Amino acid sequence: MGMSISAEQNAAAVAAAVTASEEAWSALGVVAEAVNHSAGHGFAFLRLTVPAPHVLTVAKGLKHDMGVNYCSMVTGTHFPEGDEHRGWEVAYHLQRMPVINPDPNTSHVLVAGDLSGMSMPIEIEMLVPLPQGDDPRVPSVQSVWRGADWNEKETWDLVGIKFDGHENMFRVLNPHDSPEGFHPLQKQHKIRYHDFNEMYDDAQGFVRKPVDEGRVK
Amino acid sequence: MAKMWITMGPQHPMTHGLWTLRVQVDGETVVDAEAELGYIHRGVEKIAEARDFTQVTPYCDRLCYVSAMTWSNSYIYAAEDLLEVEVPERAEYIRCISAECQRIASHLMWLGAYGPDVGNLTIMTWALREREMFLDLLQELGGSRMHYNYPRIGGVKRDIPPGWADRLIAKVKLFEKRIDEYEMLLDESTIFLVRLQGVGYATAENMVESGVSGPNVRASGVNYDVRWSHPYSVYDQLDWEPAVEKPTSVKGSDCYDRYRVRMEEMRMSCRMILDAIEKIPGGKNTTYSNGDEMIIAKAPTRAPAGATGFSNYECTRGASQFYVHGGGEGRGKNPYRLSIRSPMFITIPFVAETMIGYKVADIPAIMGSFDPCIGETDR
Amino acid sequence: MELPTVRSLVYDNLGGVIVNLLDGTPLEGQAEAIAAFTGALITSLVGFAAIMLSMFMILWIERKQLGRMMDRRGAMTSLRSLWIGENGTTAGAWWDMVPFIGKPIGAVNRWLNASFGNHDPDRPTVDRVNNRSWMGFAIFPGFFQNVADGMKFLIKEHMVPERADKLVFEVAPYLVISSTVLILGLIPMGAGIYGANPELSVLFAMAVFGIAPIGVFFGGWASNNKYTLIGGIRSAVQLTSYEIPLLLTVLSVCVVSGSFNFVEIVTFQGQSGAWNLFLLPLGGALFLISMLAEVERIPFDMPEAEAELVEGWWTEYGGMRFGLLFAAEYMRTYAACILFAHFFLGGWHAPFSGVWGDVPIIGLASTSIIWVLLKAWLVFGVVFVWARVALLRIRTDQILEFGWRILLPLSVINLLVAVLFRLFLFDPAGVVEEGLGNAWGLGIFAYMLPVIVTVVSLGLFFYLLNDEDKDASPERMFHVRTLEPAGTVVPGTE
Repeated sequence: MGMSISAEQNAAAVAAAVTASEEAWSALGVVAEAVNHSAGHGFAFLRLTVPAPHVLTVAKGLKHDMGVNYCSMVTGTHFPEGDEHRGWEVAYHLQRMPVINPDPNTSHVLVAGDLSGMSMPIEIEMLVPLPQGDDPRVPSVQSVWRGADWNEKETWDLVGIKFDGHENMFRVLNPHDSPEGFHPLQKQHKIRYHDFNEMYDDAQGFVRKPVDEGRVK
Repeated sequence: MAKMWITMGPQHPMTHGLWTLRVQVDGETVVDAEAELGYIHRGVEKIAEARDFTQVTPYCDRLCYVSAMTWSNSYIYAAEDLLEVEVPERAEYIRCISAECQRIASHLMWLGAYGPDVGNLTIMTWALREREMFLDLLQELGGSRMHYNYPRIGGVKRDIPPGWADRLIAKVKLFEKRIDEYEMLLDESTIFLVRLQGVGYATAENMVESGVSGPNVRASGVNYDVRWSHPYSVYDQLDWEPAVEKPTSVKGSDCYDRYRVRMEEMRMSCRMILDAIEKIPGGKNTTYSNGDEMIIAKAPTRAPAGATGFSNYECTRGASQFYVHGGGEGRGKNPYRLSIRSPMFITIPFVAETMIGYKVADIPAIMGSFDPCIGETDR
Repeated sequence: MELPTVRSLVYDNLGGVIVNLLDGTPLEGQAEAIAAFTGALITSLVGFAAIMLSMFMILWIERKQLGRMMDRRGAMTSLRSLWIGENGTTAGAWWDMVPFIGKPIGAVNRWLNASFGNHDPDRPTVDRVNNRSWMGFAIFPGFFQNVADGMKFLIKEHMVPERADKLVFEVAPYLVISSTVLILGLIPMGAGIYGANPELSVLFAMAVFGIAPIGVFFGGWASNNKYTLIGGIRSAVQLTSYEIPLLLTVLSVCVVSGSFNFVEIVTFQGQSGAWNLFLLPLGGALFLISMLAEVERIPFDMPEAEAELVEGWWTEYGGMRFGLLFAAEYMRTYAACILFAHFFLGGWHAPFSGVWGDVPIIGLASTSIIWVLLKAWLVFGVVFVWARVALLRIRTDQILEFGWRILLPLSVINLLVAVLFRLFLFDPAGVVEEGLGNAWGLGIFAYMLPVIVTVVSLGLFFYLLNDEDKDASPERMFHVRTLEPAGTVVPGTE
């Protein structure tokens, strides 16, 4: 049969990660809990809620002490109607992948049943709530994981969350000459374009409606 | 000759999609490379905030149009996590089979595009000819050849049609012989080996550091695969193992390794399909009507604010993830935030770095071996 | 009965007419010269027209063979494709429409499909993949497609890039095209069919062949485009470096034949009893490989590689200039095939022509243009098209390495072998005007030396053809490396 990580292995690994996180960072106000997926195999993952100033400490700790080597997703969300401590939220999705370079002419074959401890793959969700306001800032983890680089660029580009210490930030998905301060995934930008006539003023589609002059290309 | 910047793209036969690669060359050697993405940014994440959970599925098909079934499945798993739905087993089997068919079709498209990149036009017609077989199969399931809109929250839209299983088995068995022919054409050609070996080295740890996953990492010698590490669907009940390659150099895997991994993955997918179609609960020759509880479960349509769903899925090009927040408009009928993680978005800048030090003629070989697809990159 | 040749018609008859016409006019003194000039003009045009019309055959062969090989199973041409049908319809339905011979051929076609087709009524979609019908309707399907393609270039726009060097930009295609056409005028197509026949025609042809790299480089540079510049440089380098093995190989042929004249080389092969391919098989292979590189076909088409350079040095050309450049590539290919036929395959001699020289009909046909064309087309189909279908592009530095480090030494060896053969193993008494030549007999029997050479070469070829044992080495199978693996170059330090 195809191998797979079992539920017990996963639960044990996540529990160990919870313990380790609590020992390391509970003094900083980091809340660590093991949460189960609500569908499929229902495996557990580690959810950390980290206050914004301590992001870099936790990130470094995750990388060096807990072997989390893969930063897969950085999501920014805007909650204009949320409570004052959670006006914005940055969610980092990280993983521990037990990947090491194999010797030449060999492959490093992982056997699911044999994995334990630091070589167990786990998913980690690191939530960073930011206070309400116009200037959400988070320290950048670009120096910790290279994979966070373009993810942070995308988050700033679309959502507008600024990453302190991020080198060479530029627009990745929106055009380079998008207006300053235009971040489409913020909630004040409503999706109102449903058809061609609403978007353009003329029949060929060259002239935008007067409301949009200068705001949108 | 002095260094000069060459712009490849956005319209270019090699780039497999709409993006720009700027390389700085010193003679024929690449000195620096920059990728510029975002040409087909369609704002799917924003659009999803104005759609029902079911209405988002067609958008996810169009993310990576070459590998549509895997992307809509990936979204559906996240939505099911959010809405807390339990999927019947037959539906999981069907999803697994359709995803593996799609994986084969996507790898064939990659092969068909990679051949002309390095100069062999024959493999394009051969690979696309085989891809037709799988597209026909998926068309019977989903209704169209590329954007199927097939999975639903709680299951699948309709059951496998009568006779589909026989056609599937016949085609997969034919295809397994055809893979041998591709290898005969390519692997035994010295020119192919000379073009691909020794070019485009990347180590596994480097790749994982930079966020690359999937067949590219398996080419570097580690058999990590989301299908067994964070299992979903019925992969633990099937007879399979991840295809992994042994790189010959301490510098990591080269283009040839990545090519070989995808060929072996196609074979492995064939094996999985043949196994799964026999094990499917309810039998392979029965067809349940739409909405039957064997193929779809009742699912809530609203998610409360504060609930989140997350899926980790092995797409054809790496690990794709969807992160959904509940509590959007319509009192929770729409997602509040849909965030899509595309493996290629992270891989393309990595590949741009990998090219440094090689010749201009190696650019298509290296770029193609990582299998870029811009639809998912730009979303 | 002696058939009148074009030359006799033009020089004798027409020449006489012109001389009579100019009798009594002020041009009387130069009448002979004018007649000769007119004669040369007309024969060149006729020869050229013959070649151009027959060149459409090359394009047709390429299209059809490419389609068969690319879409069929395996690397072999599948003759099956000529009769296979799809879901019940076969090509026989179309053949029925042809008058007179259509119905029997259609019946044969249907029978072939029923007996050897791959038809499975339970699996119609698998069928669709396996069998694609040849819906050829006309007797010569697809032939005039290429004519139409050529004519369409006439109506396309001629663009010149704004900052291009206009004079050089315009001149470059003409250099390439005119040099190619000039060569075609020198190559004889039959025993008396040539535009001109100077004494050192081979030398002149090769010299003119080598003008093309200049035109290519001019075009690449003048377009004011980085892509074309790179393409033009790559092309000029490749063409120039493959001229040398080519010329050495041609020299070896001339050494063996004892003359620098096309007609004499071909007649020598007939008179001495052996085609040069069997004496110098290595030379034949080298000639073909060098010619593949000279005409820039896959596997040597890096200068115009679509994947990186869009079209290489031709990118900025539009309209008929592009059409003529495209045609020039095929003209050069055709010239290469015909040259191979003349140098190595005995030109217009039928196989074993010495044996049946006196047999009626066949003997008459043994010195005609038909054999030249058949051989050229065969070489094209077997070597040029097949190489294009099965192989990939080699990288430029690998091409150059191959040309200088492997082909050049081999061509020197080939020349050495040719010199040795001519000096020591050649029997001048065996060269006969008609009948069986015996120049390479080694005193034992006619053709002794070619037979030995062929057997040894084939043995060596099949020995080298076998791959090493795939399980023998712990490293990957098919382990191939260039001298210097890529990625070891640190830019700026060479």
